[in-house]
Amino acid sequence: MTFDLDLIISFLPDILRALGVTILLWIVGSALGILVGFVIAVLRRYGPRGLDLALLAPVELIRGTPFLVQIFLLYYGGPFIGLSLDSVTAGLVGLTIYGAAYYSELWRSGFNAIPRGHIEAAQCVGLNRRQTLKRIILPEMTMLLLPSMVNMTILMLKETAILSIISVPELTLAVSALGTKYYAFVEGFAILALVYWALVEACSAMGRYAERRLSKYRFAAT
Amino acid sequence: MTEKPAIKVEKLVKRFGANTVLSGIDLVVPRGQVTCLIGPSGSGKSTLLRCIAFLEEANEGLIEINGEPLGFTSGEYGERNRLPAAQIQKVRSHIGMVFQQFNLWPHMTALGNVAEALVTVRGMPRKAAEERAMAQLSNVGLSARAGHYPSELSGGQQQRVAIARALALDPDIMLFDEPTSSLDPELTGEVLNVMRELAQSGMTMLVVTHEIGFAASVGSKIVFLDHGEKIVEGRPDEVFGKPRHERIDQFLDTYLDRGAATLL
Amino acid sequence: MSWKLFWLLVEASRLTIILSAVSISLGFVLASLVCAAVMSGNRAARAAGRLFVSFFRGTPLLVQLLLIYYLLPQIGLNVPSEVAAIVGMSLCTAAYQAEILRGGFVSVPRGLIEAANMCGFSPAATFRRIRLPIAVQLTIPALTSEAIMMLKSSSLVSVVGVIELTRMAQDLAASTYRPLELYAAAGFVYLVINIVVAGLGLGLEKRMSWGRL
Repeated sequence: MTFDLDLIISFLPDILRALGVTILLWIVGSALGILVGFVIAVLRRYGPRGLDLALLAPVELIRGTPFLVQIFLLYYGGPFIGLSLDSVTAGLVGLTIYGAAYYSELWRSGFNAIPRGHIEAAQCVGLNRRQTLKRIILPEMTMLLLPSMVNMTILMLKETAILSIISVPELTLAVSALGTKYYAFVEGFAILALVYWALVEACSAMGRYAERRLSKYRFAAT
Repeated sequence: MTEKPAIKVEKLVKRFGANTVLSGIDLVVPRGQVTCLIGPSGSGKSTLLRCIAFLEEANEGLIEINGEPLGFTSGEYGERNRLPAAQIQKVRSHIGMVFQQFNLWPHMTALGNVAEALVTVRGMPRKAAEERAMAQLSNVGLSARAGHYPSELSGGQQQRVAIARALALDPDIMLFDEPTSSLDPELTGEVLNVMRELAQSGMTMLVVTHEIGFAASVGSKIVFLDHGEKIVEGRPDEVFGKPRHERIDQFLDTYLDRGAATLL
Repeated sequence: MSWKLFWLLVEASRLTIILSAVSISLGFVLASLVCAAVMSGNRAARAAGRLFVSFFRGTPLLVQLLLIYYLLPQIGLNVPSEVAAIVGMSLCTAAYQAEILRGGFVSVPRGLIEAANMCGFSPAATFRRIRLPIAVQLTIPALTSEAIMMLKSSSLVSVVGVIELTRMAQDLAASTYRPLELYAAAGFVYLVINIVVAGLGLGLEKRMSWGRL
């Protein structure tokens, strides 16, 4: 159980590449999830009632089942319905779908949290629906949703680790592989935990910074 | 003890950070009378009341309740010595407090709110406590609502329960911190009526209020604070009658719609 | 897919439920201690509590499970993988539950505590009669979500060789070569369990629905 510095350095390129995959999956998966989630939320709120009900089912299905089972279904079950994806694509698609369900609920809670009076006030001064969305609803929601969005995005990073189980070449898989090769699981996973921890702390620090910057937009006390 | 005032405040200073909220207040609250603290928002009147309830600790100065020091005593060289927590609770037991936000405990019924301290603090059996609580509730006209939770009561009813809760512990001084400020206008009357009856029964009351009409008619003494200083004090006719202090004039101008119109 | 296969999944879900229930309960006990530490006046206890919460919320449960699974034997604790799974899940959920509990206590309005002070309550009585019951009521929805989260996360213990619902589906998918049906069925079982838990949470919430704050 000794630390061999040279050994670690020789792994560094592999580890960094795997870290890159993790971060890429995280950023792209979250961004797509936020976007698709927004579309779902808007469709459910402003679309016809049937659409709202039609979208409710998949969202609740995703939120009610484990991410791992969803990934298995997509990656191993997909080929049976003509959906053969390589592990990285399956991982990204799975992450996006999973994230979209949760993000859509956050967006919806944001829509619901904006006082009707603010929207009525916008209409009274002559803003149309699109302008109201762009100038009033979205800016107000940004402030309201920032903390929960940051939380969800942190969750997304942690979920990327699960993709190692379908052998997406991300960080957890790379470290497990090294652990198997050198029988150094504990050291490997301990360092791995520290890396995730650092990423999560960095992300929440950024969230807190953004919250501070936006704090002047906080709702006035009534 | 009768010759001692109910509350005596000496050179009270309270700062929040760099902000001085009370700058050396002296105040005497006579026994068996209603003293009203008025003044613009931010004048420090609520802070003064909260210091007297020891919910805030003053930075300087002394407070006596029925002649007993509250929280601090002055030492040999004029320094302040802190008193033990038990002493603070003992002095505080003379005081009942009514808050602007009612502060009823949401998980207990009206009856439960009034009976709770009798059981938990005074160690009364639950049944006896509830009987006494029931009597207090009927005094404020709410015996029919005893089984309701605060969320099922109107603001005015909640505040009356809060008054009953404070009275159940037999205080000899009642503090009111803007008791009607978070009520709809049509609900303030029922609360003010209960307070009026309480005043007639001879309770010593210190009331922070924006209800100038109530202060003028029920108060035996008016204290006007502004920017943390006592500007004027006296009988209502002295404070509100002419000639009037210039700042009272300004203050009344902004409160025309609060029952002050009759005073001009 | 035959009923026999589906029944195997249902039976495997027993372990999922047991593992989750035990972890959530142990986690709650641990969370109460962590929450007490974080809210205590002792600086060292506060720092330790915060570090615990930050670490277990800041790392993937999968990594925690793997770390604990390999760490326990190295420090001489040769325990079955079910126990390692419970240790990992309990620690992780304790961190989340501690934050939920802290949030509950922080949300008890100051005025309610001041009212208790004015009525002569001792700090202990204020805690027992006012702060605790209100905090519990405030946290039930969040604790229910956390329970559902843990039920779903328990699927991860399949990687350390615990034959629970997900692992059973995996094994059956491999032997029958019908992953589509098996994973869909496993998802369905999770969904049913979670709906039941959500219903229990709602019922509990309703029963304590005295006063919104």
